[in-house]
Amino acid sequence: MSIVNVENVTSGYDGQKILNNVSMNAESGRITAILGASGCGKTTLLKNLIRLIDVWSGSIRLFDQEITTMDEAEFNSILRRIGVLFQNGALLNSITVAENVAIPLQQHTDLTEEIIDRLIQVKLNLVELNYASGMLPSELSGGMRKRAALARAIALDPELLFCDEPTAGLDPATSADLDKLILTLRDQLGMTVVMITHEVPSVLRIADYVVFMDRGEVLFTGSIKEAKSSGIKKIDDFFKMGTAA
Amino acid sequence: MRQEKAALSFHGNRIFFSGALLTWQVSRFLRDVRARLKDFRGSDIIVDLSELEEIDTAGVALINEIRQIAKRNEIECRVQNASRNIKRAMKIFSLPDIYEGEGEFKKEKYTIFEGIGDWLVSIAANIKYFFYLLSDTIFYSFNGFFKRHGMRKGEFINQSILIGMNALPIVGLISFLIGFILALQSAAQLRQFGANIYVADLVAISMTREMGPIMTAIVLAGRSGSAIASEIATMVVTEETDALKSMGLNPIRYVLVPKVYAITVSAPMLTILSMLIGIFGSLVIGITYLGIGIEPFYNEVINALILKDIITGIIKSLVFAWIIVMIGAYYGFRVKGGAENVGRVTTSSVVVSIFLVILADSLLGLFFYFGGGIGY
Repeated sequence: MSIVNVENVTSGYDGQKILNNVSMNAESGRITAILGASGCGKTTLLKNLIRLIDVWSGSIRLFDQEITTMDEAEFNSILRRIGVLFQNGALLNSITVAENVAIPLQQHTDLTEEIIDRLIQVKLNLVELNYASGMLPSELSGGMRKRAALARAIALDPELLFCDEPTAGLDPATSADLDKLILTLRDQLGMTVVMITHEVPSVLRIADYVVFMDRGEVLFTGSIKEAKSSGIKKIDDFFKMGTAA
Repeated sequence: MRQEKAALSFHGNRIFFSGALLTWQVSRFLRDVRARLKDFRGSDIIVDLSELEEIDTAGVALINEIRQIAKRNEIECRVQNASRNIKRAMKIFSLPDIYEGEGEFKKEKYTIFEGIGDWLVSIAANIKYFFYLLSDTIFYSFNGFFKRHGMRKGEFINQSILIGMNALPIVGLISFLIGFILALQSAAQLRQFGANIYVADLVAISMTREMGPIMTAIVLAGRSGSAIASEIATMVVTEETDALKSMGLNPIRYVLVPKVYAITVSAPMLTILSMLIGIFGSLVIGITYLGIGIEPFYNEVINALILKDIITGIIKSLVFAWIIVMIGAYYGFRVKGGAENVGRVTTSSVVVSIFLVILADSLLGLFFYFGGGIGY
């Protein structure tokens, strides 16, 4: 069953078209990787999916509901079922890691402070950051920031997790750890993950399904095996160069 | 930078380059070529590179610029006899459309009217955005009294400390000095008429109606307005506001509204303290320099002031507080780009806030004087 359904989406910023007739799906319980070179429109697509920017035309359905025409209150109820891991973590810098993780719990649940504290510890434990709960984001390394942001993204046990370049800028070992964590989330919590990336090793490790984008258009959708045997030169080059690097 | 020599010469319709055509000579050569092409009467020119041994990116840009100038003057221009290396450099360092000769740079040229039109459209868009922001802020501020959801716990107290309490020492010091100096300067004049005691009236009325609110607002614009703009702008460039939206939280409600509450409460309180401390500053001059006792000074102040003076000052302080917070928020949310722009919008927010505070002070002064009926 498709949880994310994008059909013929065209969008952009300030009158400049970035995405042209993009269509893709993400199946429930799978990790779908949206691949492509820098500037191909991956992050724009993510911003469309969480309505940070509006689509110019086309349809986006999340959990079988059209989100492009929803009012804010309706979309907020959809957002409660979604977690987003931003490229640079996007943790609030003025508050501690634990307070960051607490935000969705405090805002969207009526749980008591004791339960929220316990949940924060559970999420931080999951990302192996218990010891950093009282630290400010500025005191964390790049990998720790990503993991803390992941803890916040999964605070409400979302059914759908969007990750924007989760392993970009991390060393291979930290990347592998983060990938393992995403796999755990899918397997243990049954999360559907849509991951935007250009890190080929990461895709090969965890993705079930790939959407390959090029210059604002979808070039290919299918399994990794199908992608590798697609015979499309850009995809072959992408995988070759990605694994060589 | 390397200083190898290149030479430029003209023979009929041919322009010859020789040696190494590098960055440091390009401007001079371009001037020479422009001067030559200005009076050129032929139908075609040839740029001959047979003697050219080396070229860098600026050299390639020069050759391409010559082709553009020729094209604009409706002269056909051909580049000939370039060596393999030079051709390769031309291919790598040229924009594709230029090298292929299929078009011009896509640089748009505006007429002055289009420029003015664009400027007006952008001003209209900015004003529209400001009023959207203002209406959202007013809505969420009132809404927040009844519905705490979507706001950060304890943030009002936190912001009140940052905006109000932490500003107290500097507001106090400035107000004391203003009261002190106002009394000193006016005393010099009033003494001549034996009217020393009226220093108390003058300073009391100045501090309550004008100096208290405006000095407090200037300190708040410098301290808190800049902090609001830079905090919000940083949150925008680091995607923190996007993260809030993705969690179903409205950044205006979550980030801005507690600041609005805090400044709305703090600014009048700071203003009242500023008025009192300014009057105290003049009392110091009254006692030490003019020989006025505390009691006569106190009686004079009480007689001179009416409640409406203080209300006027408080109304002004509230208007100034909203100007400061809204301008800070406007610049913060409108930031584009990276860290460099955070500094730029912060500076702009302070300058614009202070300007608007002074403008609003003048307008409110006129309003209260002519139309407000508040005791003038």
